[in-house]
Amino acid sequence: MNAVAGDNLLVEARDLGKSYPKVFRPRDRLRALGKLLLGRNDIDSVAVLRDVNLSVRRGESLGLIGENGAGKSTLLKLLTGVLTPTSGSVAVRGRVGALLELGAGFNPEYSGRENIAMSAALYGLNGDEMRNKLPEIIAFADIGRYIDEPVKHYSSGMVVRLGFAIVAALKPDLLITDEVLAVGDESFQKKCIRWMEEFLDAGGTLILVSHSMYHIQKLCRQALWLREGAVAAAGDVFEVTQAYLAYHERKLAGAVQPISLAAAQGLEFHLLGFAVNGIAQEMPVFVDAGSSLRLRVRVHSRDGRVPVIGIGIARADGTPLYGLTTEIDGVQPREDGEKAYVAEIEFQNLALLPGAYTLKAHAADTEGVRLFDTLERGAVVRGKTREFGLIRLQHLWRDVESLPVPIRSSASER
Amino acid sequence: MSRDNACRRVERFPLIAGMESQQVTTSMALATHFIRRELRNRYLGSLSGGLWALLQPLAQLAIYGFVWAYVFKMRLPGGDASPAAVVPFLALGVWPWNAFAESISRSATVIQENAGLIGKVALPRSVLVIATTSSSFLLHGVGFCAILTVLSLLGMPIALIKLPLALLAFAMLYVLALGFAFLFAAVQVFVRDLSQVLAQIMPLWMFVSPVLYSREFLPQAYRGWLDFNPFTFYPEFFRALLLGLGTVEPFVIFRTLMIAVAACALGYAVFQRLDSRFEDFL
Repeated sequence: MNAVAGDNLLVEARDLGKSYPKVFRPRDRLRALGKLLLGRNDIDSVAVLRDVNLSVRRGESLGLIGENGAGKSTLLKLLTGVLTPTSGSVAVRGRVGALLELGAGFNPEYSGRENIAMSAALYGLNGDEMRNKLPEIIAFADIGRYIDEPVKHYSSGMVVRLGFAIVAALKPDLLITDEVLAVGDESFQKKCIRWMEEFLDAGGTLILVSHSMYHIQKLCRQALWLREGAVAAAGDVFEVTQAYLAYHERKLAGAVQPISLAAAQGLEFHLLGFAVNGIAQEMPVFVDAGSSLRLRVRVHSRDGRVPVIGIGIARADGTPLYGLTTEIDGVQPREDGEKAYVAEIEFQNLALLPGAYTLKAHAADTEGVRLFDTLERGAVVRGKTREFGLIRLQHLWRDVESLPVPIRSSASER
Repeated sequence: MSRDNACRRVERFPLIAGMESQQVTTSMALATHFIRRELRNRYLGSLSGGLWALLQPLAQLAIYGFVWAYVFKMRLPGGDASPAAVVPFLALGVWPWNAFAESISRSATVIQENAGLIGKVALPRSVLVIATTSSSFLLHGVGFCAILTVLSLLGMPIALIKLPLALLAFAMLYVLALGFAFLFAAVQVFVRDLSQVLAQIMPLWMFVSPVLYSREFLPQAYRGWLDFNPFTFYPEFFRALLLGLGTVEPFVIFRTLMIAVAACALGYAVFQRLDSRFEDFL
């Protein structure tokens, strides 16, 4: 209970982690049983979610995005209490309405009406409350005579309709929903979105998982991007979704996976850090077109020799745009601590047009011949312009006149 | 229990005063729902519905009665020597045993069978075990009362006036069964062989309990062994109370109550300890 401080914090997760035990043989299960009975928790396991911190206040809306298997559903299940965390803590207050999986909690043998009663009992409604809400639920679901047929005869769309109708009738403080709306038809989807918007306007709180950035951006103001079980980025919905999309573009382009830190540390030269505009964390950086971009690279030199540092800029799909090294420009990194060298480059009046880019830092040997280590960082360039392409080339119009009324001033803004 | 301190279940209910009572109410509503569902499920699709609950033990009683009274020529020790007197004697063993054995074997697999529900919906899992055990006891408890009433109307010397006292003992048996049910339901999640083993052990258990015989039928040297069987008390108590066969010391009643409560507490403790890991192993 102490985890929830303040009145408006509905959800708080701290260092939340979930691991699944590795059990392949029946013997492992027996061993796990013994360990658990003895109160030991050191079961051999695989982590699917690590160190997730998140807090959602009343009235906020959070979108969860990430690839398949990133841990989104696991996180939702931890928040709703279906799963118990392996580490960290989670606290949720208020009435929670959860729509996790298609037909979760429905018994296929029972009619829709009976399943409504079942769900109502699961949400702690008593008989009277349930009877009062029944007409409302049936009206919202709008599946006609199917309400008295077994759920196994339903189409998946009807299952979602029924599930959503139940949750909607509960008037939850917090609505948690997984990618289930995608199953409903256009008109029902609109109905749900409208309901969610009204719900949010009325002060409701929403946690939504979706692969549709449109839905996320429409309904959520915050977003959290999960990658391989850890938070890759969190914050404003537009920044996070753009970074996520940029990541996908890079991934489609088959960007090389950076070598793991442990492997890199054995190398003659390895990168210690790569800061973009002073931000060293591995999360995409937002830069305004026309502003300046500063890349600072630190390299560890095993034998104390001066490295050559390379810098590259590529489009998110991998197309190289520009590259140079300290050696090309006739400079060398400055010594910065024992066996460490640093160099910073600044691109003034950044000519990149708005879009997603990959920034690369390379460490090469003193001769600039052998490449030892590479780090990549996503960057999103923001700006309003209608110019085409990747780079704004310096230009000058001749033999032209100004338009009588400037239609857009975006080009001259910069 | 001593669950890892860092891991805390999600508070699914408002953190306001009286939260616990609300949780209890919700669990009760859920348990009621599951009991109803369980009772309906068992007879869903069968023509005679709930009648099976009575018919099946009746048929069982008829078979045992025929074999024991006419084939094996069993006669009650000390009391009425007619073959018909064997019937209420057997009934007082068969119904409690059915309730006990059925609730345990059904509960043992209840968590595993509801894996789909557990993986998708947050619910107190103990409710599933309670509902299964309760529904077995409800069914067989009603059957117990019904058969005793019928036998009494047929002229058998049954002290029906003491039936409420017998039901109290039935409730004690319920508490004992609940302990085993919690234990087995939890262990079954990890060790899937348990339900197979139980299927072998339960008939064996019946025959080492005085369900179809009484203590006097055993050689003197083995009679004391029956006291190590937690089920022994119940048929003996019912027969002493309702048929006037033998006596049961008040001390034994107290000991049995303690055993039932201890078994329930132990079973629940194991269940609680393993509860948070069920979903990992289902």
